[in-house]
Amino acid sequence: MLRWKYSRPLLTIFIALLALAPVLGSNPLSRPGLQQTMAVAFIWGGLALTYDLLFGFTGLLSFGHALYFATGVYVTCILINHEIVSWWLASLISIAVSALLAFIVGSASLRTSGITFAMVTLAFGEAGHVILERNFFNLTGGENGIALNADLIPSFWISVVNTKYIYWTALAVLVFTYAVIWWVTESSAGRVFAALRDNELRVQVLGLNTQRFKLLAFVISAALAALLGDVMLLAAGSAAPRFADAGVTISLLLMVVLGGAVTRWGAVIGGIFYSIATTRMQDLTQQDSFKTIPKWIGGPISEPAFILGLLFIFVVMFAPGGLSGAYYRLRLKAITKKSQ
Amino acid sequence: MDTFILILITGVGLGALYFLIASGLSLIYGLMGVLNFAHGSFLTVGAFVGFWVASKMGFETSMPEFILAMIVGGLAAGLFALLIEQLLITRLYDRHIDQALVTVGVSLVVGAVLGGWFGNDLRMFPTPSWFLTAIDVGGAKIPADRAVYIVTAVLLLIANWALLKFTRIGLIIRAGVENRNMVNALGINVRRAFSTVFFLGGFAAGVGGVLVSVYSNGVSPLIAGTYLIYGFIVVVIGGMGSVPGSFLAAMMIGIIRQFANYYATGLGDFVVVILLAVVLLIRPQGLLGKVRA
Repeated sequence: MLRWKYSRPLLTIFIALLALAPVLGSNPLSRPGLQQTMAVAFIWGGLALTYDLLFGFTGLLSFGHALYFATGVYVTCILINHEIVSWWLASLISIAVSALLAFIVGSASLRTSGITFAMVTLAFGEAGHVILERNFFNLTGGENGIALNADLIPSFWISVVNTKYIYWTALAVLVFTYAVIWWVTESSAGRVFAALRDNELRVQVLGLNTQRFKLLAFVISAALAALLGDVMLLAAGSAAPRFADAGVTISLLLMVVLGGAVTRWGAVIGGIFYSIATTRMQDLTQQDSFKTIPKWIGGPISEPAFILGLLFIFVVMFAPGGLSGAYYRLRLKAITKKSQ
Repeated sequence: MDTFILILITGVGLGALYFLIASGLSLIYGLMGVLNFAHGSFLTVGAFVGFWVASKMGFETSMPEFILAMIVGGLAAGLFALLIEQLLITRLYDRHIDQALVTVGVSLVVGAVLGGWFGNDLRMFPTPSWFLTAIDVGGAKIPADRAVYIVTAVLLLIANWALLKFTRIGLIIRAGVENRNMVNALGINVRRAFSTVFFLGGFAAGVGGVLVSVYSNGVSPLIAGTYLIYGFIVVVIGGMGSVPGSFLAAMMIGIIRQFANYYATGLGDFVVVILLAVVLLIRPQGLLGKVRA
């Protein structure tokens, strides 16, 4: 009802344009620099979407989502660097490992709910972070992480000239993630997820195993996060503990809330915007004109967390639903006006 | 034997730091259902204000000066907590997820402001010189600052217990943790209890902030990081809303972590998380927590 009738064809054209941009003559996207920025932004968009499946659609406030993303990055990197399997098989294995890990962690932490669940997932996520930093068996490289051995991945992903392939890969994986999440949330299991978020007791009364459905959402989003981690490994060229930091999950939360939960596109836009904003803001604050601002206000502004944090507080307090929520409110107003 | 005592007392000292954070978290959660991610920023605010007071005294402080810095830091953090509660939390009455989200925003903003003003490097905290000496306990040489952590934590535990047990507001807080709707229905204003709990939690975290900066050899906007997470773990293991539970769990985790780290380097954090998982599986409400209806 609320969907604008042209949105789907326009979106298709837009994605096609994004895909063709690197080879369509001279435009900003034919530069490797912007291709790299956009590839990373697409990955964050996809990751925010997997978080939306948990937080928005199923109502599970997890603070440990970064763990599964990092599992994708690390498992693939380790398998490739030790020449155990090819990139393709390595990423498949990393997805399976991530799903298994989510199954184990989810089984324990889903015994709690609500705010306790948030704390418990945070604890497990941080444990993962600590383990990666400790460099057990010399596998994870400790605090410095490990560089991906570029000789062992398909050659079209290597070197700056080929950044467009990473860009395309990231775009394709984002579209794939979107498709999977769309399919899951529109399926009958997706209806149960939404029901769990709105009224868990009722789902229980209907005779469904609520635990099993929550675990399903948890595992699906973890598997997709690992896939996005595989692409991040290509874009970043290394696996570092910062991918497992609790800060990552908090960023995801910001992305979803700013873009608007439960609308799918809101999370994607939120992720892309957030990723670009944090990289661009640092460039902006390096400029000379910025140095004229007094330090007591310029100092905080140069930290992306300052503006994003304020924006986040504002959205939670005064504009619940974020960007996409505001859009649908406007649409609703327009439609009711028309029908009167 | 002396190594054993050293690790044990260091563990208790670490546990004392965890307790200072967890006690506030636990009461705030128990009474209001708020998962307070801003608690780490209360700690940092207390640490910086305490640092400001202490550095006025020079590179070294006498014990009364250090205690003054600790109290001023605690008060500043308490007032800051009160401000956040009045300005943001009360407006999101009973929207627990949104309350948690807002506190995440607060922690980001506070971190960015302090980082922008002071940078993220550690600054030496001026302490009394005898903090660096060792106390002899049964043959073991214990760093003297550990004793300060433990004494502070025990004093705060006693003060907390006395307040909850013997004052009217304490009675309201205890009743509110038990059944908030009933307290409301009896015509008692629970809101004042909320503010009290936020102030007390902020105070304890601020005092903890000063001690944490002594323990980590300096002040920086990043010192709160792991302590907040350990605070959460302590609250879950000890039982939400139970201050004695937090104390017990904090000591347990401090000691276990130190021993695990001594006998298997780096395994401490891992063991703590395993412990958390075990407690959740056997006793989801925590050691001293009550089952919620």
